Amino acid sequence: MTSRRVAIGVAILAIAAAPWLLGTPYWRGILVLGAMNVLLALSLNLVIGYTGQLNLGQSAFFGIGAYVSTILIKTYGWNFWLAGLAAVLAAGLLGLALAAFAVRLRGHYLAIASLGFAVITYQVLLNWEDVTEGVRGIYGILPPVPSTAGLFYVVAGIALAVYLLLDNLIRSPIGDTLRAIREDEVSAASLGINRAVWKAFAFGLGAAIAGLAGVFYPGFVGTLVPDAFGIIESFTMMAMVIVGGMGTMIGPVIGAIVLTFLPELLRGFGELRLMIYGLALMLVVLFMPGGMVQAWNALRRRMS
Amino acid sequence: MTASLRAQGLNKSFGGVRAVQNVSIAVPDNSIFALIGPNGAGKSTLLNLLSGIYQPDSGSLEFAGRDLIGLPAHQRVRLGIARTFQKIRLFKQLTLLENVRAGFHIHQDAPFWEYLFRGSAGRFHDEAHELLEFVGLGARAAERAGALPYGRQRMLEIARALATRPRLFMLDEPAAGLNAAEVDFLLKRLEQIWQRGVTVVVVEHNMDLVMNVAQRVFVMDHGEPLFEGTPREVQANAGVVEAYLGGEFAA
Repeated sequence: MTSRRVAIGVAILAIAAAPWLLGTPYWRGILVLGAMNVLLALSLNLVIGYTGQLNLGQSAFFGIGAYVSTILIKTYGWNFWLAGLAAVLAAGLLGLALAAFAVRLRGHYLAIASLGFAVITYQVLLNWEDVTEGVRGIYGILPPVPSTAGLFYVVAGIALAVYLLLDNLIRSPIGDTLRAIREDEVSAASLGINRAVWKAFAFGLGAAIAGLAGVFYPGFVGTLVPDAFGIIESFTMMAMVIVGGMGTMIGPVIGAIVLTFLPELLRGFGELRLMIYGLALMLVVLFMPGGMVQAWNALRRRMS
Repeated sequence: MTASLRAQGLNKSFGGVRAVQNVSIAVPDNSIFALIGPNGAGKSTLLNLLSGIYQPDSGSLEFAGRDLIGLPAHQRVRLGIARTFQKIRLFKQLTLLENVRAGFHIHQDAPFWEYLFRGSAGRFHDEAHELLEFVGLGARAAERAGALPYGRQRMLEIARALATRPRLFMLDEPAAGLNAAEVDFLLKRLEQIWQRGVTVVVVEHNMDLVMNVAQRVFVMDHGEPLFEGTPREVQANAGVVEAYLGGEFAA
């Protein structure tokens, strides 16, 4: 318990110091993106890492959070926080609705179904122009707090809170239940676990958290276009979870931070940048199949 | 003698293969009841029908006065029915303690917010340790289940199923792959479970175990009931001996 308190203290200090260590507006923007990515990686890890549901549609819930909140604010004049709450609920409920069908599916089938959902959502955002403005986009979106550093504090604070709540949940009997389903569904059922309910719970909660990340995205960028929520985003989130360490709490956080900053640090390589990024991903998966957390644990064991 | 678990005329086919045919069974309460028969006799299929992994094509099935037909496996657990698997199905990446803790699922009753805001680990931590002690694994609670030797994995599966607090406990070949000392230990534990008032149904090939602990034996062959009686009666029955030995020689 005390080591947990120390870790929380370090996290708060790191969040507090980050905008001052990286003081330019550009780097502060990257920090905001990093905090959003942490939320997204946490949300996907709950579904994939802890419940074993291969979900490739997380970008859709990110987009739903962004569009629902923005439309409520811009078109209907809602207060930011109220609109954000509604958007999180909308993403969560859509997640539950998809899960109602998806929980019958496993492995590759669920992957295809969730991918299909992401494609459909993207097409709706693109073509339902009366509401979403389609490819023209929505402009002049204001962030909930005026300064970039302030926005970072808000998003990072929320990410920390979500992390701690999820960590509690994973330590609790609910965590045992979710991991049991991941490990063996038939066995889980033989212990009285209703697989459908708990898979839908994780799927819906994951969708809501991805929606929460989406609420902060439009105000940060200032504009909203469907392209920000293509299926490639789902794969980026997946990469964060895998590179960091699927099924651990801290892994996806590290993965999100590394994969947010790595492309920026590689800017000096010009056109080679994305190739190096891709190569780095491949190397991690090849040589650290359990992600950075497992590699770190293995290293520590070898040193001691 | 009352029998809480009763089946009438159960049938189950898999694409033309009639795995269980017209099986009627009444398991006396608080007995140790053995299901035996050669490979492919339909014992495991019957156990899967009783525990809800499969639903029968026809027939009736009730436990403690409740109709079980259509009731999924996870709901049968709440009525007090637990089981282990022939092919061990542990949560391999989880620790022994986590495996057993997951077994307390239906007894966890704290409100959701207590888990979310306080990170409560539930109230069965000590009981989970006791169950691990009971199956001789108390010292290994923090190890990964997948790293256990085979025989120990079977005992862990028993501890995990006991966490559901069954009234009816069904074990599918619990002695398979165990050495003599481990079979001895298993025997003692099965008797202790029975002495606590649990009805034990055991599918088994190990005749020593069956003849030593079972009070009633139900013999199946080719998906059909062949004979039912005490161990002594089974041993004396020519038809059983032929089916069994024939099956074993063929295998």
